[in-house]
Amino acid sequence: MITNESLTEFKAVFKDSQISDKDDQHPLGNTGRVMVFPKTEQEISAILEYANTYKNTVFIMGGGTKRGFGGLLEKADILLSLAQYTGIVEHNPGDMTLTVKAGTSFQEIQTYLAPYKQKVPLDPFIPEHATMGGIVSANDSGPKRLGYGSARDNVIGLRMVYPDGTLIRSGGKVVKNVAGYDMNKLFIGAMGTLGVVSQVTVKLRPIAQYESILFVSFSERSVEEIRAFASKVLDSMIEPISLELLNPSLAGKLTNINQYTMLISFEDVKSSVQYQENVIKSIVPEKTTLRSLSQNEATSFWDDFYHHQPNGIANITTTQAVLKIGVVNLDAIKILQEAELIADACHVSIEAHGGLATGICHLTIRGAAEDIVSVIRHIRKSAKKHGGYAVVKHLPFSLRKEMNVWGEKTAAHFLYEGIKQKIDTNEILNKNRYVGGI
Amino acid sequence: MSVLKIDTSDKHIISLAAIVGGPRSILFKKADLLAYDCDGFTIHKHLPKAVVFPKNTEEVSKLVKYCSDHGLPFLARGAGTGLSGGAIPVNGEVIISMVRMKKLISVDLENRRAVVEPGFVNLKLTNSISDRGYYYAPDPSSQYCCTIGGNVAENAGGAHCLKYGVTTNHILGLEVVLPNGDIIEIGRNGVLDEPGYDLLGLLTGSEGTLGIVTKITVRILKNPEGKQTVLAYFDKVEDGSQAVSDIISAGIVPSALEMMDKTAIEAVEAAAFPVGHPKDIEAVLLIEVDGIAAGIEEQINQILEVCKKSNVREVRAAKDEAERGRWWANRKTGFGAMGAISPDYLVQDGVIPRSKLPEVLKKIAQISEESGLRIANIFHAGDGNLHPLVLFDARIPGEIEKALEAGSLCLKACADVGGTITGEHGVGIEKREEMRFVFKEEEILAQTNIREVFNPDNLLNAGKLFPTPGRCVEIKKEMKV
Repeated sequence: MITNESLTEFKAVFKDSQISDKDDQHPLGNTGRVMVFPKTEQEISAILEYANTYKNTVFIMGGGTKRGFGGLLEKADILLSLAQYTGIVEHNPGDMTLTVKAGTSFQEIQTYLAPYKQKVPLDPFIPEHATMGGIVSANDSGPKRLGYGSARDNVIGLRMVYPDGTLIRSGGKVVKNVAGYDMNKLFIGAMGTLGVVSQVTVKLRPIAQYESILFVSFSERSVEEIRAFASKVLDSMIEPISLELLNPSLAGKLTNINQYTMLISFEDVKSSVQYQENVIKSIVPEKTTLRSLSQNEATSFWDDFYHHQPNGIANITTTQAVLKIGVVNLDAIKILQEAELIADACHVSIEAHGGLATGICHLTIRGAAEDIVSVIRHIRKSAKKHGGYAVVKHLPFSLRKEMNVWGEKTAAHFLYEGIKQKIDTNEILNKNRYVGGI
Repeated sequence: MSVLKIDTSDKHIISLAAIVGGPRSILFKKADLLAYDCDGFTIHKHLPKAVVFPKNTEEVSKLVKYCSDHGLPFLARGAGTGLSGGAIPVNGEVIISMVRMKKLISVDLENRRAVVEPGFVNLKLTNSISDRGYYYAPDPSSQYCCTIGGNVAENAGGAHCLKYGVTTNHILGLEVVLPNGDIIEIGRNGVLDEPGYDLLGLLTGSEGTLGIVTKITVRILKNPEGKQTVLAYFDKVEDGSQAVSDIISAGIVPSALEMMDKTAIEAVEAAAFPVGHPKDIEAVLLIEVDGIAAGIEEQINQILEVCKKSNVREVRAAKDEAERGRWWANRKTGFGAMGAISPDYLVQDGVIPRSKLPEVLKKIAQISEESGLRIANIFHAGDGNLHPLVLFDARIPGEIEKALEAGSLCLKACADVGGTITGEHGVGIEKREEMRFVFKEEEILAQTNIREVFNPDNLLNAGKLFPTPGRCVEIKKEMKV
């Protein structure tokens, strides 16, 4: 519990603009009695050291887009916001590496890199608000993961502030590194339960000279046909950057055609992109509609895509949930199909997309709270049946308390607990935010 | 249980033999153990207590449980090709050899994955699926004999990881026997992003200190449609380095970008696969681009252009697959080729930011001069992974020590420019002390704390990866004996 004395101490150290004791309420939870905005790594370290000494709980926040993602405690003693800890630390264009402070928004980074014809090869949702620290901590990824990998493939170094304030570096600035344990992996996707990500070093990729998206819409809802076509694409030698199936309602929202639609995108030199488009055109099945978008039109589609999900900073009018499901690649089709059936049966609307070569699906569910809860339970059962899992990425706090957003514990759980215990002995950091209440 | 009687009174040997089905599956006599006293790092040797050959996960689990219950140190070994001593039984370990667990369990082309046992040889996977147009990307130079289990332990790289990544980027799931004998599965069914800390990523490259991998789900890829290789000769190393940077900056992502310096060229030309590289050049670059055939020509032209701007003496694309094959054979056997010009050699494995190449090469030349030992440089220039090869003669008293010292100084040079001490060979016992070049005491402690969670009694592959606090001087001395 944070005391008035603590508050006085904070106020003595931090400027007024760096501290707020408004004691906010938020339907998504993950708030704090005091909000602190460090500007430096030293300040992050000082806050954690203080909190650790007095056993104050600390929640970590970047842009706030993932406020509805996990968390069984409504409020911590301290909400550590990295909103004022931003900027590029180091960019080596020749080495194609970049180091940024965790609070920097993804969009800001891409804008900075554009004149160098380089980019961070990740594709998070809400890029103008999602911060590098948040993307890494939640291991957020989009459809382009097929072509470029996710945070675990592209992050080469981290500076972490441990709960006791110690600075721990993992990885480095080079693209290949096997010195010691690959501790980067441990922190990526750890939901801030092991330390505060202070700085992130990533590999960069060149911005492709040309990009396009093909949309293949299936007039009949034949799952077999979609699967057969996907297999054909995967067995050809083309190299799509994303191969994603959109369900009819998401396709309707983003492309105005209310049918199952396969999105196949390319980024390469123009001759290669056009060649690959022609390969697709030569193998599309009958009774499908084919459309394409290139260059600016493609960019603008992606912009809509990355904003179609509810998130922690959007206005909340109805009850909404986002589910992330992982299954074996092509089983994504079955998950989307089952989502369609359950949506009708439970009177909810579901917008869904699934990577056919990654098996990662996202479902946005809108409807009455109790219906959403039963849909999540049903989908989770079906994901399990297919050897996968379902995680709730966005849900109001009141509903999170009712259900296990991460799913059941596995046999490896005692190792997660052991790791958490070693690093965050006093359990101050993002308490109960992660799997199994870690 | 075999009818053969076991010729020992050691109760541990008798018990271990019983677990694996009798005396045919265990070695314990000194003469038999000699072959296991080191791996690809031959400077340091130690005899194991025994070598056991389990056939399945249950046997591995029982062996581990037995060792753990009886306080016997143990470690897992694949083909023994590791270059940093990760499989050397420095504490007289029981070696659990994985070579009998060598099945290809399943291949699922549609979902681009295969499941293998740890003793399955790397190249065999590609050979098993290449007729259907697929391959397994990580390609360490020893891929014709090294095992995928060993690749996981070391997070092995290879010439083509510049574009496709190292082993960790291709592992989807693992079955692991923990140091207490428990069997866990992580990345079940090879599904991505399983909730929970990324143990898959943590275990890959942990050099066999956190658990023993007994089943591996890997990603497989479709063969690229086209492939083209360019060879470029430079009179100055600086020009070659500049060309490397400019190729990458031009937005090209080659599948491989390799460089050899003058001493390395001398060796490969004197060895089994000479291709006629001129003797008076300072650097040769081997650049490979793969992908959609329609886009390759454009990239090759760009590469030729870049090389010309960097004062290349001669640059050309391979005229056919046979020529491409010869160039690669010449490069891939580069380490062994040192034998043609030196009785012994020590391979190092530093990594630097690409742009620091000229600076570090100068420093290495200086180290060579000061030590009086020749140093050849072979490197994956695209990702900055340098392999300085320190040439020496072990018969001359004091040369081993000098070579180790020179190797260590090369790593220091890499660390000093913001690089690291190993890109793909691992720390093992070889580079334990050099860990201090890149990590502070508390960062090493953060890592050993993680080891304690998995391996609390430190019976599994102890004495690897990390410098021992307060004992560093003794270790260094011991290593040099």
